[in-house]
Amino acid sequence: MTVTPTSIAGRLALMFAIATSLVSVLAGVAIFGFQSLELKRHQAEELSARSEIIEAMIHRLEDPTRWPLMTDKLKSFTPADGSIRYRIESADPRFRFMPGKALEPARDGFGVIHADGKRFMTLARHVPAYGRRPDVRLVIAADTAPFDASRYVLGVGVLAVSILTIALVSLLGWWIARRGLAPVDRLSHRAGALNPADLSLRMPTRDLPAELVGLMTAFNGALDRLQGAYERLAAFNADVAHELRTPLGNLIGQTQVALSRPRPADELEDVLHSNLEELERLRTIINDMLFMARADQGALAANLAPLSLAALSHKTADFLDVLFEDAEVKLEVRGDAIVVADASLLGRAVTNLLDNAIRHGVDCKTVRVTIETQDKGVCLSVRNRGGPIPEAHLARLFDRFYRLDRAREHSGEIHGLGLAVVKAIVAMHGGSVFARCEGGEVLIGFLLPRPEGIMPDDRAERTTSTPPRAESTVTEAA
Amino acid sequence: MKILIVEDEPKTVAYLRKGLTEQGYAVDFVANGEDGLHLAQTLDYDAIVLDGMLPGLDGIEVLERLRQSRQTPVIMLTARDSVDDRLRGLGAGADDYLVKPFSFLELLARLQAITRRGRSESTTITVGDLHLDLLARRATRAGRRLNLTAKEFALLAVLGRRQSQIVSKTIITELVWDINFDTNTNVVEVAIKRLRAKIDGMFETKLLHTVRGMGYVLEHRPEGAP
Repeated sequence: MTVTPTSIAGRLALMFAIATSLVSVLAGVAIFGFQSLELKRHQAEELSARSEIIEAMIHRLEDPTRWPLMTDKLKSFTPADGSIRYRIESADPRFRFMPGKALEPARDGFGVIHADGKRFMTLARHVPAYGRRPDVRLVIAADTAPFDASRYVLGVGVLAVSILTIALVSLLGWWIARRGLAPVDRLSHRAGALNPADLSLRMPTRDLPAELVGLMTAFNGALDRLQGAYERLAAFNADVAHELRTPLGNLIGQTQVALSRPRPADELEDVLHSNLEELERLRTIINDMLFMARADQGALAANLAPLSLAALSHKTADFLDVLFEDAEVKLEVRGDAIVVADASLLGRAVTNLLDNAIRHGVDCKTVRVTIETQDKGVCLSVRNRGGPIPEAHLARLFDRFYRLDRAREHSGEIHGLGLAVVKAIVAMHGGSVFARCEGGEVLIGFLLPRPEGIMPDDRAERTTSTPPRAESTVTEAA
Repeated sequence: MKILIVEDEPKTVAYLRKGLTEQGYAVDFVANGEDGLHLAQTLDYDAIVLDGMLPGLDGIEVLERLRQSRQTPVIMLTARDSVDDRLRGLGAGADDYLVKPFSFLELLARLQAITRRGRSESTTITVGDLHLDLLARRATRAGRRLNLTAKEFALLAVLGRRQSQIVSKTIITELVWDINFDTNTNVVEVAIKRLRAKIDGMFETKLLHTVRGMGYVLEHRPEGAP
């Protein structure tokens, strides 16, 4: 049995032992104390009884000639081992019984004396004078050895039982604790089997004590999240490798071709320009990925300030003006709300959303930005004609390198990170993104937490103090 | 213009040195923080390009110690671009911040920006037969008034102020639209296409040139030049 102080079973056994020790010591002391008092009372009662008999005999005796009868009787009462002794003291020598000097110092009433190496309990009483007999003093002593022996046996018994109880309870406690903790052992064994090769392994929650179910459910939740993260990372690595392979291949290939024979300067310059384009593309991908990696690591937006989503949309629209005109699409911005955000980051998110809407709109005349304050937070959605997009695709729109249209996979401009960047930015602000289809229209947007500290009437004031701009178009803004 | 480069990556140093020298800058370089700090404290530079991660004394420490005695403009280079790093660099007294991988043009533009302070700018720009009046916001070519939108004029002015220099898309979005984040949109391409149609469309000599992968140049190239 190894009981380390850090083992729960060991600690429980130790605590059981301490508790039992306290209880049994208390019980032992109490039993021993009561029993000792009882023995003492018993001995005292016996002395009183003897004393009463002898007192009665002395009481009416006044004739000195009859005293030897008395002394013979006392002699016959005295056992051979001297465990009970009598003595009668008197002023008149004719009324005395003094077998030895041993009982002399006995005091009146109950007392204790030591004689011949033994301990005696004594009882001394005066028998009043009667006729010619003067006042006499009767002393009876009883050896306490038998009672002491009883006390000793009792003490040893109590001690032995206590020690036995403590040992037994400790062992039982240890066994019970081990039994009680058996599920933990099973879980430890199971946890030891968890490994990256089989990410689907979970801890069992059936047949578990209620106390452990919560812990294991939480633990399994953590495993779920880790599995998700691990799988995303693996998929992401594959995507990155795939995405970087194309420009790298181009770079290597065309450089090798260029160097394979002497070429005029303008031809080499052309290769360098083409390489530069590929390199810029790589740089953009790498920067975007680093950006998202930081968001994944839980980086939060700094430089937070209150800003109007409508104003931000208008500024973005102003930037994208030429694209809207080129695509012959108008922009409408409806509603407004204040959020606390990093203007630059959120501007990038809105730019990507609008750019995405222009790029992927089908037969689309208007892109509508709707900003509304909901219970859950502040919602900005970009709506355009497009779709219908199957539900499975909608869910994946925000994934890195995910494209609806695989044919456009290698067009230089799009590298499938636009909406992923939106998601990362929104996550950095503690919000969430959504994408859904509503009757031939695609809605993509985000939900940000409502800013604290901006009171509803503060917002009301804001809307009344500025001219209503519930609806405006890019052409007006430009 | 004298520039100090404090950077320990030899290839980076090599191309920065070459590029900046060709742009007419006098360039000193050192590969560690101690020497960088010593040179920066003892010599007069117009600007310092300082790497964030250096052997020995790191970039931030160099900057903090330099700022105790000198206010030389400093552009920090770093591989890390978390907001904290950026704030730390700017808090230590950096004038600007560039994240690796950065483009050389970007560095050049920022160097020009931080060393230009105090220089007065002309209110008219002439490129070949193209004239810009920045105050009247009027553009003419060969005496003919060009009908430009406000944004097109702003774009032309940005290119005109840096005539004969390659202007990157990042600089254009920042100066014309006040957009200071990476965008993967083709706004600049489309805007340039429209501007080009208006200023070069009906003229034999083209003034607005695209440098693939780098940006745009507004310049009058004499006959026979590519």
